Amino acid sequence: MTHSPLTLRANAEGEAARLPALLARAEQLAGAVLPGAHGRRRAGSGDDFWQYRPAQMGDSRRMVDHRRSARGDQEFVREREWQIAQSVMLWVDQGASMRFASDKGLPDKADRARLLGLALSILLLRGGERVGLTGAALPPRRGNPQILRLAELLCQEDTREYAPPEHRGMIPHARAIFISDFLGDLDPVRTALTKAADRGVRGVLYHLLDPAEEAFPFAGRTIFESVGGTLRHETLKANDLRDRYLDRLAARKDELQQLCVRTGWRYGLHHTDASAQSALLWLYGALDARQGSAA
Amino acid sequence: MSVFGGIGFTAPWLLLALLALPILWLILRAVPPAPIRRRFPGVALLLGLADDESTTDRTPWWLLLLRMLAVAAIIVGLAGPVLNPQAEAEQGSGPLLMVLDGSWAGASGWDRKLTALDAQLTRAGRAERTVGILTLTDPQVPTFQSADVWRSRLPGLSPAPWQPSPAEIARATEIMADLPGFDTMWFSDGLDYPGRDDLRTALQSKGAVEVHQSASNVIGIAPAVYQDGAIDLTLRRAIPGPEREAVVQAHGRDPAGNARILATANASFEAGATEATTSLSLPAELRARLTSFDIAGQRSAGARTLVDDGLRRREVALISGRGAQEGLQLLSPLHYIEQALAPNADLIDGTLTDVLPANPDVIVLADVATLSPAEAEPLQEWIDAGGMLIRFAGPRIAASDVSRIDEDPLMPVRLRAGGRSVGGAMSWGEPKALAPFRNGSPFFGLPVPDDVTVSAQVVAQPDPTLADRVIASLSDGTPLVTRKAVGQGQIVLFHVTATAEWSTLPLSGLFVQMMERLAVSSGASTPEAGSLEGTTWTPLRVMDGFGTLSEAGNLPGVAGPELISAPADPALPPGIYGSEERRLARNVLTAETKLTPATWPSDVPLRGLALPPEQPLAAALLSLAILLLVADVLASLALSGLLLRRSAGKLALILGLGLPQMGDAQETDPESFAVRSASEVTLAHVLTGNSDVDEVARAGLTGLSDTLYFRTTVEPALPTGVDLEQDELAFFPILYWPVTPDQPQPSTEAYGKLNDYLRSGGLILFDTRDADIASYGAASPNGRKLQELAAPLDIPPLEPLPGDHVLTRTFYLLQDYPGRYTSRDVWVEAAPPDAERIEGMPFRNLNDGVTPVVIGGNDWAAAWAVRRDGAPLLPIGRGYAGERQRELAYRFGVNLVMHVLTGNYKSDQVHVPALLDRLGQ
Repeated sequence: MTHSPLTLRANAEGEAARLPALLARAEQLAGAVLPGAHGRRRAGSGDDFWQYRPAQMGDSRRMVDHRRSARGDQEFVREREWQIAQSVMLWVDQGASMRFASDKGLPDKADRARLLGLALSILLLRGGERVGLTGAALPPRRGNPQILRLAELLCQEDTREYAPPEHRGMIPHARAIFISDFLGDLDPVRTALTKAADRGVRGVLYHLLDPAEEAFPFAGRTIFESVGGTLRHETLKANDLRDRYLDRLAARKDELQQLCVRTGWRYGLHHTDASAQSALLWLYGALDARQGSAA
Repeated sequence: MSVFGGIGFTAPWLLLALLALPILWLILRAVPPAPIRRRFPGVALLLGLADDESTTDRTPWWLLLLRMLAVAAIIVGLAGPVLNPQAEAEQGSGPLLMVLDGSWAGASGWDRKLTALDAQLTRAGRAERTVGILTLTDPQVPTFQSADVWRSRLPGLSPAPWQPSPAEIARATEIMADLPGFDTMWFSDGLDYPGRDDLRTALQSKGAVEVHQSASNVIGIAPAVYQDGAIDLTLRRAIPGPEREAVVQAHGRDPAGNARILATANASFEAGATEATTSLSLPAELRARLTSFDIAGQRSAGARTLVDDGLRRREVALISGRGAQEGLQLLSPLHYIEQALAPNADLIDGTLTDVLPANPDVIVLADVATLSPAEAEPLQEWIDAGGMLIRFAGPRIAASDVSRIDEDPLMPVRLRAGGRSVGGAMSWGEPKALAPFRNGSPFFGLPVPDDVTVSAQVVAQPDPTLADRVIASLSDGTPLVTRKAVGQGQIVLFHVTATAEWSTLPLSGLFVQMMERLAVSSGASTPEAGSLEGTTWTPLRVMDGFGTLSEAGNLPGVAGPELISAPADPALPPGIYGSEERRLARNVLTAETKLTPATWPSDVPLRGLALPPEQPLAAALLSLAILLLVADVLASLALSGLLLRRSAGKLALILGLGLPQMGDAQETDPESFAVRSASEVTLAHVLTGNSDVDEVARAGLTGLSDTLYFRTTVEPALPTGVDLEQDELAFFPILYWPVTPDQPQPSTEAYGKLNDYLRSGGLILFDTRDADIASYGAASPNGRKLQELAAPLDIPPLEPLPGDHVLTRTFYLLQDYPGRYTSRDVWVEAAPPDAERIEGMPFRNLNDGVTPVVIGGNDWAAAWAVRRDGAPLLPIGRGYAGERQRELAYRFGVNLVMHVLTGNYKSDQVHVPALLDRLGQ
């Protein structure tokens, strides 16, 4: 791509034109999920009241809550709920394989992945978390401007056929969400998850597939080409391949699940013909429940 | 051409290409179907998955077989297969002469004969032989030319209503003598005739002769004979075969004047008999209306016999002035005339006032001098309308003053007082004999016997007109019989008595012959040749070989004796001949004619006509190949997964749309049909079964409906086709009926419905679509079909559309009624005879109602027809004139529909001045 001012401007405007749409859809999606209290359910530094406890030795005088203590003889300390922001890191597969939809009525996988990622980010940001992308491009930050930055970066496309998960720059004990079709080599995924587990990062592995990839409705002599065109496979009877393909796909899912179990991640599967709403709810719940259990 | 197993091939070497089929099999087998490229991210999972060895990568065997069949069908189709090829081995070379009898005997099977001729011409054409055709009934020097030229001329051949005469045989032999050698193919009609053997010998001297003769028997009908109150009919056949039934139809006119079958009779040939007889007993009234008899199912001049005066018994009223007197019977003034007429006429007795309402053909007044005004006036009207009054003189007339000074309207001449008497006891001279009859007299040619003498008579006054009125005179030139034409009738006066008192004429045979010549009595069924001596007969209507009658036009007259005795030939075609009032039928078969089957010597190969026709199969095979290839395309698509279920659905939809969707009336639910047809004005056309004609008719009525919609307040629904057998007609104001020669005859029930429809005010527009070249005769196939179709219909008398018919002004003012053609002959119901033009009115006050039929041949639907987009379907005429013609055609259609819907409304407009006058304005 030439970077003359003109094309840069045109491309920038094109990109910018896409952003609001994605943002709007993501906001709309996120608006449907009402985030509950996002407290840590333990005493700590925060704004919200947690409990009164009798003042103990070592509590400074300043900590005594005089209003409560004046009611009786005992001195109470007012504890606040521990409210600290989590860092959530997002990796959305931008590889060429994601730009596929088997039917005109279906969104392509990249689109769905972006939408889900951004909507979840919005939810999390509203909940006060810090959200960012894995790698060095966008470290987790809080606040609405981060939404714009996320949207911008999510709209970029990767020319690689199957993008490996970005596992650099993961903050220890943060949370991570990987959204991909995981059709490429699994080794990078394994590495990424192992590294994440090493750093105490847990998260969700969200497997996004097109219905055609799940059903393999092909017959006859066919040349299958990857979306980028770099890989191809010719067969004379596509229908004969079906069972073996489905076996392989099942094995892959199984392996991903095993990996998740070993590293303490959660595995989720979503098809582009299902509603984005349910996917978002599941993702949000998965993140939440995991947080709860991790507490 | 090579023949393998009954199928011949025009290009047999092409069949060698079939050897290449196995190679093609191998090649096609090895080539897998073209792959489809698909984007599929999951390809990473497929990498390394090898195709199962056991699954074939080759085309399935049935698809291969399909393709093989398609290719084989193409190869065989291009090799030009012909089913039932005529054996070429028997085909000689050199010129070929096809000899046709061309007589009436072959008319019934003429179509089959032409088909056989066509097949033989095709054969000869393939063998590249030149062909000449010689018709024995009309021998012309044959030109030997290519068979294809003759094939195109075949429809022009038609049978003659006579057998080859000796003169024609001689001419044919003469023609052949001048020709170089040739082979002969003789299409015989199956009847023997003199000179046939000589001709065969002459032909055999030129080359091989082969005879083609139909196996069917020739049937003819002899002239009808009236005997003992019944009509005897004799049917003859050439070959005494097994028992056979035949139906004889008596054709005639119904009281309204329409041609109709008046009666039928069954005749049956005994096994081995060549003759069958039957008799018909018909009332005199019906008998008088007969025109011909024919054999049902036979279409030849021999199977039709025309009826002449022989069957007509004239009604003669005899009235004498002395009826009340008593006397001996021999002295009755009517005795001799009764004797003369009784065998051949029906006699009526009574007074004049009683007799006249019976409308007799002839009234004889014997010596009646004066008639009262109450008698004279109706008598005069009767004569005006065509009656014949024959008066005999007598003492009373001689004594009276009738026609003395002024000519009496009921007398042909003025008479002198008293009459004269010659050769009697009180007078000088000899009784006078008759002078020979002059040329121009109806009695011309009758021999005058010597013993006829006249002794007394009434005498005509010399007048300027007298010479013209005398038709018989005495030897001294005195008029004996005078005649005067009055209106359509005539008055004849015998200047002698009807008894033997004044002359011996009533005693002679001449008297009977004179009565015959005056058509008072119709004479014997077949008059003797001698009795017609001196008469000239002009043909009125003549038959063609098929037995169809047509107007004779200006054919020359024929002398009387020749008419009886000479064989029929081009100068004497069978038909109805007329002389004065008399009608004589000249039929193909006479009472004596025997039908002798033609026999051929054993050295002449004899064949039937029924050769299985050659059937080229190339077109069928090539069509099959195309179908197979289409099936192959579909199968290949299905195999390669391109033909998904959704596409199949679309395909089925396309195929479904391709099927013709006719907007015709046949619906399963009669109620919905009734509701649809009756809720709006719907124009309808009769389905003929010919899809082209039906389509044009539908498009034509669509165009007319559009025109009505745009220009008038009539807003018709879409036109509909009507099946006469199934559909109710009452809903349609107008039926357009295009006539095609091959449309089926409606059933009796359908005719019942049609007649109901006509009676209840419906209108049928018959369109022969042939520009009326036949003038509704039987000369064109459409005209013939129209006659057949319309015969059972209840149609009133018709007349050409008069200029003041209400149809000319129901919406537009029209003088012409063009369609695709511009003939002006359009026929509608005739105006009542008393319709008169009232002073000051532009039009006559015509029929009170809608004409039930309009008949024409202008192919109106073609002029009205529009395509779906509203543009004209067919070109009409040329340029602007053509568009003008189309416009006029539309106007005619608008007028017609307006006429149907409003009746004589516009006719009533002529009363507007009278109505206004009555209202006092």
